[in-house]
Amino acid sequence: MDLGDATGRTSRVMVQENEKLGNAVGIPKEPGHDKQLSDLVHKPQVGFTRSLGTLIAIALNTFRETVRDRVLYAIVVFALVATLAGLVFGSLSVDQDVRVLEDLGLFTITIFGGIISVFVGTNLVFKEIDRKTIFLIVTKPINRWEFIAGKFLGLALCVFVTTYSMGLFLIGITSLQMGSLGHAMPILLALSFIYAEMLLVIGLATFFSTFATPLMSMVFTISLWICGHLSNSLLSLGKLSTQASVQVITQAIYYTIPDLASLTLLRSQLVDGGAVPPNLLGAIVVYIVAYCILLIAGASLIAERKEFN
Amino acid sequence: MTDAVIQVEGLVKDHVSHFLRKRFRALDGLDLTVQKGEAFGLLGPNGAGKTTTQKLLLGLTRPTAGTIKVLGKPAGDKSALERIGFLPENPYFYAYLTAQEFLDFFAQLFDLNGKQKSDRIKELLELVSLTEAKDRPIRKFSKGMMQRLGVAQALINDPDLVFFDEPNSGLDPIGRRDIRQIMLLLKQKGKTIFFNSHMLPDVKDICDRVGILHRGKMIGQNRISDICKSGTYQELEDYFMNMINSAEADYRKTGSVTPYHIEREAQGGPR
Ligand SMILES: Nc1ncnc2c1ncn2[C@@H]1O[C@H](COP(=O)(O)OP(=O)(O)OP(=O)(O)O)[C@@H](O)[C@H]1O
Ligand SMILES: [Mg+2]
Repeated sequence: MDLGDATGRTSRVMVQENEKLGNAVGIPKEPGHDKQLSDLVHKPQVGFTRSLGTLIAIALNTFRETVRDRVLYAIVVFALVATLAGLVFGSLSVDQDVRVLEDLGLFTITIFGGIISVFVGTNLVFKEIDRKTIFLIVTKPINRWEFIAGKFLGLALCVFVTTYSMGLFLIGITSLQMGSLGHAMPILLALSFIYAEMLLVIGLATFFSTFATPLMSMVFTISLWICGHLSNSLLSLGKLSTQASVQVITQAIYYTIPDLASLTLLRSQLVDGGAVPPNLLGAIVVYIVAYCILLIAGASLIAERKEFN
Repeated sequence: MTDAVIQVEGLVKDHVSHFLRKRFRALDGLDLTVQKGEAFGLLGPNGAGKTTTQKLLLGLTRPTAGTIKVLGKPAGDKSALERIGFLPENPYFYAYLTAQEFLDFFAQLFDLNGKQKSDRIKELLELVSLTEAKDRPIRKFSKGMMQRLGVAQALINDPDLVFFDEPNSGLDPIGRRDIRQIMLLLKQKGKTIFFNSHMLPDVKDICDRVGILHRGKMIGQNRISDICKSGTYQELEDYFMNMINSAEADYRKTGSVTPYHIEREAQGGPR
């Protein structure tokens, strides 16, 4: 058989001929020959149920994102090790005080819950913008506030799970130490206060991350977190001053930053067995929820005006 | 002109740099009409403003000047987005999800659920030949697989209008054929297609009409049937080169590109 030049040229010409007909070798002539796609008969809802569905979808996706991140496990394991170290420390102390262990445990949970909230929270929205996954989200029929609120709720769910699992671990070891479940209730109570604090931290982190880099957002969030704990001192500091303007400024700051000092004070009262009036507890819940809603609303306003390049 | 799906007039987009507030005009007075059922290909050299145009049409960015109507609504309108599919340039997806979960997530954003949702996802995975890889995390996907998933994602809501930004880049020959066939299928179903591409053979096969963008200005618009009289894509290539060369000559002489005037060639519309 002649495999010479002539043959080669012929086949090339044939390919070109085929291409002219829109029918290159191996491509079916009919458009979409073996491809099929059915029509979708679907009337999407509008309004509240739709928003709820969108929120849940985004929140669960965010939850997945965070729990599939190995960094989260590193932080949790570290926290558990720190609590165990506390246990050793507790057993070595002369009076074997379970309160030392409990306080240390709750402190560890607050710090590590806070680390997760700050680190993940400041990256949440930023990462979507940085990696351009936001293009796919904001070109879907959703409202931008649903995106922000969904992100917030997803991380809130993740922090709920991690805070309470660390808390259960703490209950486990204090109970072992004491031989009874006597400390379970106070710890559970304290956990809800810690979680409330975490919600504020997540809210702050989400808010800042809509317009600042993760590093800047971290600095802002952590500063406000610390200031929140010092809020009472801030007020007293203002009262020391004779100048009205200083008092106004300190008061303004006091009322803007989250009042974490009062939250902690109430927490220790409750854990110590003190009674706190139920309407005060109600007020705290309203305070936390309102604060978070304001932060999410602010973040949504910023996101609404944002261009995605 | 009631059937216009995309209607753009005098569109200008300036990118302002963060430092020095320097302005760069990425789009300069773009006029564009795409009719219902039409497949429109936006061509042009790198940096011409094609992606910029798509982002404006989808409401990802806001125009500096000009008006945009997409499906009769302003760009980015929610009720219009309900009927739109979008494949971004070099799509990057949630690496931690599997292909199945990824499509599921977007299906939920369109309020699909139950059997309708799972049937749709199954069908789309089949369409882009990702059924086998559906439970693999996207982080392990190749570029071409991502591109296929991007197409599936864009079709989840059975859109009437699709925006594809370089749908056929980074694909193997099979992938390119698959995407071409999907786009032909969409056309057959009467969908409106707006896409950017550098793959002229595919553009020739798919498009009814092309527009050539250069330095932010539309320098030529014509029907494929008029450009490719003998049916080869080389004619489209020649058209492209001629337009760019004369615009560049213009630019060198006068310092700006003369935009194309719609009267010069046939008005748009499906064949
Ligand atoms: N965010 C931005 N900031 C500043 N300039 C930008 C920005 N985005 C795009 N540009 C500029 O606008 C011009 C058009 O960019 P665009 O991405 O629309 O090009 P394109 O036609 O899609 O090119 P390609 O074929 O390479 O994808 C380019 O010169 C680019 O540098
Ligand atoms: Mg581009």
